[in-house]
Amino acid sequence: MNRKQLFDIAEKWFSNQGWKPFPFQQQTWTAFLQGKNGLLNAPTGSGKTYALWFPIVLNYLKENPRSGKPKAGIKAIWITPLRSLSVEIKQAAERIINDLELPITVGIRSGDTTAVERAKQKTKMPDLLITTPESLQLLLATKEYPKLFQNCSTIVIDEWHELLGTKRGVQTELALSRLKVIAPCMRIWGISATIGNLEQAREVLLGIDSEHFRNSVLIKAHLHKKIKVRSIIPEKMETYPWRGHMGLHLIDEVAKIVRESKTTLIFTNVRSACELWFQTLLEKYPEFAGEMAMHHGSIDRDTRLWVENAIRNEELKVVVCTSSLDLGVDFAPVETIIQVGGPKGVARFLQRAGRSGHQPGKESVIYFLATHAIELVEASALKKAVAETVVEDRAPYLNSWDVLVQYLNTLAVSDGFLPSEIFKEVQNTFCYQTMTPENWNWILNFISNGSQSLQAYDEYKKVEIDENGCFRITNRRIAMQHRMQIGTIVGDAVLNVKFMSGGYIGTIEEWFISKLKPGDTFSFAGKKLEYFRVKDMQVLVRKADPKKESRTVSWMGGRMTLSAQMSELLRQELYAANSGNVTPELRALAPLFKRQRKESIVPDADEFLIETFKTREGHHAVFYPFEGRFVHEALASVMAYRISFLSPISFSLAYNDYGFELLSDTEIDLQAVFDNNLFTTEFLHHDLQKSLNATEMARRKFRDIAIISGLVFTGMPGRPIKTKHLQSGSQLIFEVFRDYEPDNLLLQQAYRETFEHQLEEGRLIEALERINEQIIVWKPCQKPTPFSFPIITDRLREKLSSETLSERIKKMTNSYMK
Amino acid sequence: MTLPITINDQYFVLHQSGAIFWVRENVLMISDVHLGKVAHFRKHGFAIPHEAVHENFERLDNVVHFFKPNTIVFLGDLFHSKINNEWDLFATWVTEITARVVLVEGNHDIISKKHYSNLGIAIVPEMVIDGFLLTHHPDGREGYFNFCGHIHPGIYLRGIGRQSLRLPCFFQRPKQMILPAFGIFTGKYCLTPDTEDQVYLIAKDEVIPINTN
Repeated sequence: MNRKQLFDIAEKWFSNQGWKPFPFQQQTWTAFLQGKNGLLNAPTGSGKTYALWFPIVLNYLKENPRSGKPKAGIKAIWITPLRSLSVEIKQAAERIINDLELPITVGIRSGDTTAVERAKQKTKMPDLLITTPESLQLLLATKEYPKLFQNCSTIVIDEWHELLGTKRGVQTELALSRLKVIAPCMRIWGISATIGNLEQAREVLLGIDSEHFRNSVLIKAHLHKKIKVRSIIPEKMETYPWRGHMGLHLIDEVAKIVRESKTTLIFTNVRSACELWFQTLLEKYPEFAGEMAMHHGSIDRDTRLWVENAIRNEELKVVVCTSSLDLGVDFAPVETIIQVGGPKGVARFLQRAGRSGHQPGKESVIYFLATHAIELVEASALKKAVAETVVEDRAPYLNSWDVLVQYLNTLAVSDGFLPSEIFKEVQNTFCYQTMTPENWNWILNFISNGSQSLQAYDEYKKVEIDENGCFRITNRRIAMQHRMQIGTIVGDAVLNVKFMSGGYIGTIEEWFISKLKPGDTFSFAGKKLEYFRVKDMQVLVRKADPKKESRTVSWMGGRMTLSAQMSELLRQELYAANSGNVTPELRALAPLFKRQRKESIVPDADEFLIETFKTREGHHAVFYPFEGRFVHEALASVMAYRISFLSPISFSLAYNDYGFELLSDTEIDLQAVFDNNLFTTEFLHHDLQKSLNATEMARRKFRDIAIISGLVFTGMPGRPIKTKHLQSGSQLIFEVFRDYEPDNLLLQQAYRETFEHQLEEGRLIEALERINEQIIVWKPCQKPTPFSFPIITDRLREKLSSETLSERIKKMTNSYMK
Repeated sequence: MTLPITINDQYFVLHQSGAIFWVRENVLMISDVHLGKVAHFRKHGFAIPHEAVHENFERLDNVVHFFKPNTIVFLGDLFHSKINNEWDLFATWVTEITARVVLVEGNHDIISKKHYSNLGIAIVPEMVIDGFLLTHHPDGREGYFNFCGHIHPGIYLRGIGRQSLRLPCFFQRPKQMILPAFGIFTGKYCLTPDTEDQVYLIAKDEVIPINTN
């Protein structure tokens, strides 16, 4: 069959559905049938799935003509990061297969696949396999795995932008490096949403300077969607903004929008906000009761799947969710999107906006609800972002030793590996392109000796070297232990919550549970629950009296920061407030800016603002880089450290996306800070290390590294297996490495990731350089200013319950308004 | 380095390693050494640094050399799990010291008793010396002051600026003293003291009493 004939089949099928193929789809089919690799840049809901399923099916036709006997084994693999998406992808493929009456089987293999299904797949793999990055690793852990892939013509990595910049992306790079060698005729295709570094994304996917990269294309689906951003602005604007009711006082506006729309998704930034919004909406508007749902990462998987299906079937009117629903529900029509609070990133915001209103050519509307006044500046900035489409990069990881350790153990468990062969494959990946032979040997020693040299009395057993120099894991128990560990890329210290009578609700972080006493009531997943007790690492609860007072669950993890792009836009917008050119959002902020200018200023582009004032809590010094909370956390640490050299002063630190604060019982000599050039970028790395926070963060990063590299055996998250005297926290392992093996690559990785990712050292340096170019404007004030309010009230939040907090803030506002 | 204290008119010395020396009886009490834990983990494929193994023996040598006791009582969990090569190092250590060694059984002590008796170490479920009850698990029996281990007590210190520290400590209750874990790689469980409790925290090389308010 030639290409024209194959194309005709596709075009005919499309017209039978009443569709017309988009240019990007046709371009993809062409490139694919030419045997090329590629990266397709297409957003959710654009028909990207058909862009690749079709040529895969057509290619199957070409290689397995109806007359002959079809080849065995997997013909194509579709990798999706989210298990729930696999259903949609399977349905899309089956639609084509059924209509064309082809004998192609489609199967899903993921954590959700039943044992019965898995056994079936062992004897006969489906032609088209839909799976997750973790499950792909598990396939590499099976004996004689190369046989599985020998007839595989294609691998598609869906949502590549989601995997890029995470360790699962590194896992994928490694898997691809192996598949490229055992299935050299296999095409590699990625599908990605729009990110700032698409060209690099292609490189990471296909390998730098590789055959695959040279024979590849980058196809962009130029689907210009008109996006309109509407801010929900309260009639009366608060002068002193605080992250209080989370915009809940605007709930009536929200209900109005929900009522007028067929389906609405309300995106919140954090899970606790999601819980709070759901509760409040339900209490105030019980009319939505039967058609309302909640969706976030800590809710039990089955419940989440139910919600996703219900959205697809248009059974729900409103769903309150977090970024958990950013992926998935590809084909579902969502009419309206409401974003509660700043989305922290432009790409995320644009993606969400693009989800609404599925009629082609029609405008997508996204509503923005600021949770406090200053967030309206973000809204204003986002409008510009939508117009200019400035999106974030997804920076790929480099030298993730933990993932490499896991990968090598995987190869050792299945067929074993020869270091000389695998070294080359690994070095050709983006992640490990700078890996030295010393690094490699360190890793080999780590997995085979558990150290860098052989020691007396040592009984370490993991990977063994056979007479051919092949690295293998032969011990069955250790092999099983490893297989259970594969795919545990992310681990939180969470506990499963279940009803005493049975039925799982979701997971909650340990620290939250530790604050509860038996009988306490809390709200989770939209239910009021009474805490009974913890048994076997599970939290047992029963339904609580709905009238009882309850606290909403909150989570420590998952705090996002303003992206570099977002913060740049925010600053520009703020500077614009000083010019005459103002948007409706900025106009609504006029009373706030007026109060701000009373004692302080709204900074211009060449000004860096520092405010000082005294309250009953002490002496405050507030700095405003507007560079995101992670950078501020780092900067606050460094400043506190540097200032402590000038005089023995100790600080309490607070920070948010707009700035940071140093609080102490004595006044800071700010003049000395300026005179001693404490904003210098010199010695930054050293100073970051010295501040205590860096060690704490490294300790936290090490937790993931320890789990991934197999230093800790966790069993299943939330349902751990009791192992004979092998339980250990990663904190303890961190300490023992710090004390006895400080040059351990995995330990160093924890510090490196802390500096690069958590503290965003690169961005921090840029921020300091920018500050050094600006004129420092120091405003000693009598009272806290509106800009400082969110930061100082955030600190109180930790000490006071929500009722006393709002009372206290009311008092503060009243006194400052004078 | 050390801190002398009095309990029920008896003099005890708290040592920075977590050991307690009873002056009158010439007894050194050590709890939760968990020998063999590193080796146990390594045997199961967890690459805990092997260098850590020798540290325990150095600590034991240091504290025994410091007090030169007649008797050493281990308050349980002397060995972490099944027997492994670290036993040989322990056997060597035992033959080199002159003190009498007694092990009060703990939940981790699963090694067959004959191994201990071969080294001349007596194993007992508990010890009573003149109104003092030595056990592994905390025991609130009436009429006794209890020395015990098992908990691996620690204390959580909160500083300003979101700083926090977890340090091992001797945790004294009105009728009980919980010893910290002596061994490396043992972890801590943080306790919150009541007003009648007395906490002695171990920071670097010092034993420091702290105010529990």
